[in-house]
Amino acid sequence: MELRRYIGRRLVQIVIIFFVILTVLFLLFRLAPGDPVSRMIDPNLTPEDAALLIKEFGLDQPLWMQYLYYLKNFFTGHFGFSFHYGQPVVQIIGDRLPNTILLFTTSIILSALVGIFLGKIASWHKGKKTDTFMTLSALVTHTFFLPWLALIMIWVFAYKLDWFPITGMISEEIWLDPEACLWTKALDVLHHMILPLATLFLIHFGSYLLIMRSSMLDTLKEDYIVTGRAKGLPEKVIRNHHAAPNAALPVVTSVGLSLAFSINGGALTETVFTWPGIGRELVFSVSHNDYPLAQASFLLIAIVVLLSNLVVDILYAYLDPRIRY
Amino acid sequence: MTREIIKVTVFNNDIGLSERFHWIGRLLEGWSIYKKNLLGKIGLTLLFLFALMALCSFIPPLVNPMYQPMAGVDPDISYSVGPSMRHWLGTDFMGRDILSQLLAGARIAFMVGVSAAFMSVFLGTVIGMIAGYAGRFTDNLLMRLADMIMVMPALLVLLMLAALFGQLSIWFIVLFIALFRWPGVSRVIRAQTLSLKHRPFVEAARVSGASHLRIIFRHIMPNVLPLSFLYMTFQVTSAIIVEAALAFLGFGDPGTVSWGMMLQWVWKTGHMFRAPYWLLPPGICISLITLSFYMLGRAMDEVLDPRLRKEGGTD
Repeated sequence: MELRRYIGRRLVQIVIIFFVILTVLFLLFRLAPGDPVSRMIDPNLTPEDAALLIKEFGLDQPLWMQYLYYLKNFFTGHFGFSFHYGQPVVQIIGDRLPNTILLFTTSIILSALVGIFLGKIASWHKGKKTDTFMTLSALVTHTFFLPWLALIMIWVFAYKLDWFPITGMISEEIWLDPEACLWTKALDVLHHMILPLATLFLIHFGSYLLIMRSSMLDTLKEDYIVTGRAKGLPEKVIRNHHAAPNAALPVVTSVGLSLAFSINGGALTETVFTWPGIGRELVFSVSHNDYPLAQASFLLIAIVVLLSNLVVDILYAYLDPRIRY
Repeated sequence: MTREIIKVTVFNNDIGLSERFHWIGRLLEGWSIYKKNLLGKIGLTLLFLFALMALCSFIPPLVNPMYQPMAGVDPDISYSVGPSMRHWLGTDFMGRDILSQLLAGARIAFMVGVSAAFMSVFLGTVIGMIAGYAGRFTDNLLMRLADMIMVMPALLVLLMLAALFGQLSIWFIVLFIALFRWPGVSRVIRAQTLSLKHRPFVEAARVSGASHLRIIFRHIMPNVLPLSFLYMTFQVTSAIIVEAALAFLGFGDPGTVSWGMMLQWVWKTGHMFRAPYWLLPPGICISLITLSFYMLGRAMDEVLDPRLRKEGGTD
């Protein structure tokens, strides 16, 4: 019951935060130097079409009316047309969203799980060679500059060794081939995904490893661990069933705290690997002054960040019954 | 939540009773602990080397104007060539010297990192102390604001601003990074302030009629400053990364040479498969400078946090 109330409160908070973001974005678009109309209307449109769009977005109205139009358009999914693609923005974004979610969630879950697992082992061998090696490599990989690591990965594994494709998410000849079954297509996507996934994984698992290690060391000093030992339980049971689940809680928190960081990383990875996701679309639209697309991508990323924060919070409340907010 | 609790319990071990000038002794003691830390030593050495690089950045342009990082072009070369006696690390696509760009990049990295970190830690400390000390409505308001900023990906927000306002100057970028990075600091400082607020020495100051401002800046601030310093090292890291990433995407200040911008040139001009002498140095530099600030931070963490020290071990 209390958990449900907590989630409800978090939801209200998230909605408020989102409205603030929505409003700030609106103001920025109107107050930035230059003509606000030119930001929503493609300069290449015929005057009639432009007039139609100006009417739809209420750009000829006073500012507060524009705001109401803006909210209405947001909730009905009218973001205008992309200057570059000439398609409705919603359609483009809708195409890209699954790709981003696929790469992003896989990388976070994978790096958290591996980080937890390796951190557990490192803490168990504290002070020995295994621990030193793991801690050091976690520190080093964690501080790699992400776009550079991505370039190096492409250079070594895609260009020199030619194991993986250099860019993109699918090979056209496979997807256009009517004979190809679903499995070949899935394998093709996986083949394209390995390098970006490995890059994100290398950057992220280190911090989870370090957190898990120190949290595990704290947990091993708890009374219930001493009790377990006194009862004569095997060390393996103590480590895997008594210590690890509790020690993993701070990792969940840190996943939440580092979400913004991961989203930045996701956008950079998508850009370098030309993975057709929202982050890349945002970077692309910003470089090409495609304002409607930039605005919508940004809002969508904000939604993704806020919702994944909520998911992490719920997960945490669920995993740790001691904590009630 | 847990992190705050940990920090609070850790810092309860009375840095609160500091006497005037006692800090020199504390500093020496801290240094003697720090010296034993391997990672700390490596980090400090690396940082020293980077500082040396930044200082040396003034030399090449004096030797020959063609070594100017942005404007200097080798009159005989108009494409990228590998290392030679004339250009130790080779040249970029228009014949500019890579080594002098790399040295100038060190200067920019320090400037961006340290100034953004200083500003964000300053903001975070002041806001954290006010929130913790004032409590109730002010606290709630400031912390919700912090929550909100904390979930925003700074890089993408800066991208949006670049789209709307055109080229961003390096100082605007620094200022913005600072505005995005204070919440993490302020949370920790707030927790620390909460634990200090009801200590006898604060009560005593209040009873003897000290104003709120005096209590905050005179009595609470000296006790949270060590924590602020610790956070500064981590802030430097993230500031350098954000600036580099922004420059890499092509939205850096066009008037400065940063390592991120060098990487962007390699990438955009399609030299990444052909010119390892150009691709490797800036990336290694960004990664190493972040690593060394990070190691510095971890070592300082150990100095400030006796619990970590007892564990000893490898890090």
